[in-house]
Amino acid sequence: MKNLIPYFTLGYPDNTKLCRFLDILPVEKINYIEFGFPSSDPRYDGPVIRKTHSVGNHNFSESVYSKYFDYFYRNRIKMYSLSYYSDIKDRFDEFINYLQVNNFSGIIIPDLIIDYFNDSKSIINELNKREFEYIPFFSPATPDFVIRDIAAITDSWVYYGLQPSTGIEIPYELDYTTERINELLPRREITYGFGIKTDEDIKNLMKNGGSGVAIGTYLVKMIDAGDEEGFIEYIDKMRGVLNE
Amino acid sequence: MITAVNRDIMPENWYNVVPDLPEPLAPPRDSKQEISSINLLNKILPREVLKQEFTFRRYEKIPDEVMEQYEQIGRPTPLIRAKNLEKYLDYRGKIFYKYEGATATGSHKINTAIPQAYYAMKEGVKGVTTETGAGQWGSATALAASLYGLPAQIFMVRISFEQKPLRKTVMNLYNGNVVASPSTLTEYGRKILKEHPDTPGTLGIGISEAVEYALDHDYRYMVASVMNVALTHQSVIGQETKKQLELIGEHADVLIGCVGGGSNFGGFTFPFIPDGDETEIIATTADEVPKFSKGDYKYDLVDSAGVLPQMRMYSLGADFVPPTIYAGGLRYHGASPSLSLLINRGRIKSDEVTESQVKEALRIFANTQGVIAAPESGHAIATAINYAKSHKNEGKTIVVNVSGHGMLDLSIFGERQ
Repeated sequence: MKNLIPYFTLGYPDNTKLCRFLDILPVEKINYIEFGFPSSDPRYDGPVIRKTHSVGNHNFSESVYSKYFDYFYRNRIKMYSLSYYSDIKDRFDEFINYLQVNNFSGIIIPDLIIDYFNDSKSIINELNKREFEYIPFFSPATPDFVIRDIAAITDSWVYYGLQPSTGIEIPYELDYTTERINELLPRREITYGFGIKTDEDIKNLMKNGGSGVAIGTYLVKMIDAGDEEGFIEYIDKMRGVLNE
Repeated sequence: MITAVNRDIMPENWYNVVPDLPEPLAPPRDSKQEISSINLLNKILPREVLKQEFTFRRYEKIPDEVMEQYEQIGRPTPLIRAKNLEKYLDYRGKIFYKYEGATATGSHKINTAIPQAYYAMKEGVKGVTTETGAGQWGSATALAASLYGLPAQIFMVRISFEQKPLRKTVMNLYNGNVVASPSTLTEYGRKILKEHPDTPGTLGIGISEAVEYALDHDYRYMVASVMNVALTHQSVIGQETKKQLELIGEHADVLIGCVGGGSNFGGFTFPFIPDGDETEIIATTADEVPKFSKGDYKYDLVDSAGVLPQMRMYSLGADFVPPTIYAGGLRYHGASPSLSLLINRGRIKSDEVTESQVKEALRIFANTQGVIAAPESGHAIATAINYAKSHKNEGKTIVVNVSGHGMLDLSIFGERQ
């Protein structure tokens, strides 16, 4: 089954409203879930997700979400943290411990190989030692050798951002993009994200061998509007498209 | 007509260095919190130019129509062995120069102006707009737009507008409309004029005005430098150079070019990057604009108003107002992200030369080779001369990019008794 991965920034728009959407999230339709831990500088996100971090920073409370982490874990939904290394580097051990205690499976660190390239392999190896998945985050601008090198020291699925940041729409060649990553990483699960919103986007990505999609910016719009019905319908529809 | 000889030298593809960088290129980031300046590029740049800006393709096919125009404006440009200069310096190796001053507009700038205007024309936009410092980019934009039947609105940095009236004549001759920047044509220009009525202007202000004009008039903005797509188009320089060296059985030991935003330099040197680290590469800037030695490697604004996305680059700060130096094309506060990354990683070295060194180098080059190079190119020549003097007996082959001629910049020499 192809992976559907919804993304939520913790604490956005506030703890109560987010919990309401987590309550109604149809767990049978998703495989993984991605939680953004609010960042003070979400530099590689677009304006919509940046706003969620800014608001989430004020609202986030660990105690609110521990029961949800437990709930998703018990429902066999693998949980991943989206965290900027700039935010966690000074308390890295403590943060990874926290994630492991809460049964997270791994972490996505969008700034690691961009801003901390020289340290990236040692950090990934540290996560490997802890048996905690590091999800390689690549983009079209990631050089071939970096993709190969990082993939070689990890065995998890790969997150491939199609755009320079979340929620934006720079023209790109879908076929060429997917061919390239498939050639570089044959037999690896590739989940696409950034700028995906339509059925057509998803169908084309799956047709070209994608193993799943992550959806974030588009969900924020429904959460903002309090559109619970639309949210459930959208998840249902995306599941259907992925199952085709 | 494209001759067989030209076809042998001219590349069929542009080369994009991004896939061959030693680490991932940091993506652009939004300059403002609430809106996406990256998304805004969709309204500013022709779609194909935007696609090429963010592509990871190593090679991009040059359209036949662009190839045809490249030949019309003088490509391939000559690679000449500077034997007289070698003799003057008593240099025991070889010195070659790639002469971009041989193009119709007298500089390398036309190499990216043509494809950008071509893609804008294909989109059916109303016109193109840009900023210009010394006027070389403005001239190239005006000609390229004229070739494709598009009007061009050009914002020329005020100090250059006043110092180089002939450049304005050239742009007008190519049907370009030129105003001094800051101007009253844009809200940003009017704001700057109100706050700083005597400002000499900067490229950053000019970019801001051009971008605003593009958004307000359904024009497309032409990218002179800094952004990767301009360096990719300029790769015709380096690819031709490689081929020309190959045809005469030579190999470059040292490549030297000048840096304003980095387009002629990147275009000239980047095609050599995949070949390994054997070729030494040196980027020369003006002593008055010491971006590589005194600038910070950081995310910074490309334009003064912050309309365009920020980029990670060596920068003296977007509010840096450089002295009104003799080489307007080198006054820019930053340098292209790919070049900055390669400098930061130590793959490319940097050098700074003073005005007196540049003038002396231009005199020597004129007296030995007969070529009056642009003041910007004089920086590269000065570094090449210094290099030749300090490596006299090592037998190295130095190749320097002379990015333009200086026939419209003679005022920098003043009167000589």
